[in-house]
Amino acid sequence: MQDLMAVAGDALAPGNVAWVLFGVTLGYLVGALPGLGKGTATAVAIPLTFYLEPLSAIAFLVGISKGSTAGSAVSAILLNTPGEPSSTPTAMAGYPLARAGKAQKALKMGLFASVIGDLFSTIVLILIAQELAAYALGVGPVELTAILAFSMVFIAGLSGRSLIKGLIAGLFGILVSCIGLEVETGSPRLTFGMIELYDGLPLIPVAIGMLALSEMMIQIGQRHRLAEESDLLKGSNKPEDMRVTLDDWKRCLRPIVRGSLIGTVIGILPGLGASVGSFLSYGAERKASGRGADFEESGAIEGVAAAESADNAVVPASLVPLFAIGIPGSVIAAILIGAFTIQGITPGPLLFLENKDLILGVYISMLAASIILLFIGYFGQNMFARIVRISPALIMPVVVFLCCVGAYLQGGGVFGISVMVIFGVIGFFTKKYDFSFVTFLIGFVIGPSFELSLRQSLGLVTNLSEMADHPVALVFGVLAVVGVWRLTVMQRKQMEAMSRREDAAARSEREARTNNIEQPRESTT
Amino acid sequence: MPKSDLFAGLFLTVFGLLTLFVLIPTQTSSGGDATISPALLPQICAIGITGLAILLTMRAAGRIRSGKAAGQVVPHAEWLSSIAVIVGVGGGVALFKFVNPAVAAGVMIVGLMLYMGERRIWLLVGIPAVLLVGAWALFYRVLGTAIG
Repeated sequence: MQDLMAVAGDALAPGNVAWVLFGVTLGYLVGALPGLGKGTATAVAIPLTFYLEPLSAIAFLVGISKGSTAGSAVSAILLNTPGEPSSTPTAMAGYPLARAGKAQKALKMGLFASVIGDLFSTIVLILIAQELAAYALGVGPVELTAILAFSMVFIAGLSGRSLIKGLIAGLFGILVSCIGLEVETGSPRLTFGMIELYDGLPLIPVAIGMLALSEMMIQIGQRHRLAEESDLLKGSNKPEDMRVTLDDWKRCLRPIVRGSLIGTVIGILPGLGASVGSFLSYGAERKASGRGADFEESGAIEGVAAAESADNAVVPASLVPLFAIGIPGSVIAAILIGAFTIQGITPGPLLFLENKDLILGVYISMLAASIILLFIGYFGQNMFARIVRISPALIMPVVVFLCCVGAYLQGGGVFGISVMVIFGVIGFFTKKYDFSFVTFLIGFVIGPSFELSLRQSLGLVTNLSEMADHPVALVFGVLAVVGVWRLTVMQRKQMEAMSRREDAAARSEREARTNNIEQPRESTT
Repeated sequence: MPKSDLFAGLFLTVFGLLTLFVLIPTQTSSGGDATISPALLPQICAIGITGLAILLTMRAAGRIRSGKAAGQVVPHAEWLSSIAVIVGVGGGVALFKFVNPAVAAGVMIVGLMLYMGERRIWLLVGIPAVLLVGAWALFYRVLGTAIG
């Protein structure tokens, strides 16, 4: 108990709370800006953490990811421009409300739902991560290889629309992680004689390039669309349009509870991500409401609540596999590995034995971040609503500058910037050609541990019959094979459905065109 | 997106084969007496990428044959913007090496602002100035480190 009090004292010390506050505010600000999301915000901020104490560093980054997830609702509701895909349902349900003069109500409910989802998920993380880690400690190299292979298949299949593309991205990530000195023999691999590559490619410039710089390339190309987002918002003098009423709470409580549960479960499963969580929760609420297309036409406060609660619940829950097994289940978790590494800490089951105080401090900071998020979002609402209208011509160059500073600091100077640019270009094509950059990054991060455990496994298991001594590995191996089969069938069905929709759309377009040609003829006769 | 899948599949097939037969043999040492070759994992990845890329190509070709080809994957504006960002950052790096960090950062920021259509002088001067002073204060004063 005394230990807990001491840790709480550290976590709630003014210096640490100030970093959490700064992180949440910065995250909320970046999240609110159109086109910028939590991945960009966290990746660009990592270099700052190099100079911080481990607890402040992790708390700061967690604050950023929580703040930016909640903040992305601002641009979604006010400009119909989601900061990231997971806020799309919020835009669908919230933007019509903003156009009807209920922007403040939608923003407030979005914030409350975000905080509740986030808090619930944080509590679940605290309750189950250590229990899972205790089981993970008994896992040997053969089992770990099977678990990592299974996770990669799972992530590859679910984080994009194509299992094939997901697997290619994951394998490419592992291949890129092979660059540098080989772990067992110390012989150089794929280094082209460059000494800078002997330590392997630095994670932070790779992450900044793949996430932030590539996004800037796309957003700068779409700057006219962003700038032309017309200001169609109406003002309203009715007090009930500006605040969340008891009736709103009654309508939204069930979607928030459901969304928090969906988001937490989705977050714990590696690779699914916030988009799946928010769309599932939104879809469930849309169905439950029975309003059909009116849900998007008139807007729905309960739709905002459902999407935001799930979106924010995913972030803390996605840290469960990272803390318990050392597998990053999301982009944020992959980036956090970089931050842990900077601090000389290895995420995984040993974290709870070797850095118990740190992890307790992180938990307390995460709870504090949820409360801070509520205050920042509530009292800064008007300020963020103004910031959201800043021209992209002013925001994007600043973000590119911050990307360069981050890559320079963490990548050994100009070499880091070069790595960032190369991976920025790869990230650009990855996004445009619909390959999962999440799977690539996770493959890149788990590559070294996968190789190590694979090598140890090959030493332990010399023929297939010895696999009988490793039932857990067998189960995960079978699950990986079944996963490939199931995901292939599932995606084929989705492709067929999409193809049918495309055919129907093309047919109706042809019919409309034919009608348009015939109508003038009729009018002239 | 069958057309883009076909292009990506062909590109990745060539990349996978090059990695497998050129890059790995020339850029990976034998590892001496190690029981497991250092080339093992890169080879597994390259074989996997090549195999999957061939599968992707075949599927895309099949869809194109059945008449389902989609339009442009990367719009013209995004090609230009990606080139602008690369030129901006590349130019910044060159200036960083041959002139100094402040000029490099200033030129990069102003260049991108101009490319994006910003023409107000006070912003073109003010934003780089604020950023550079801010970065200097943060890294040199608050955090006690140095850039450049």
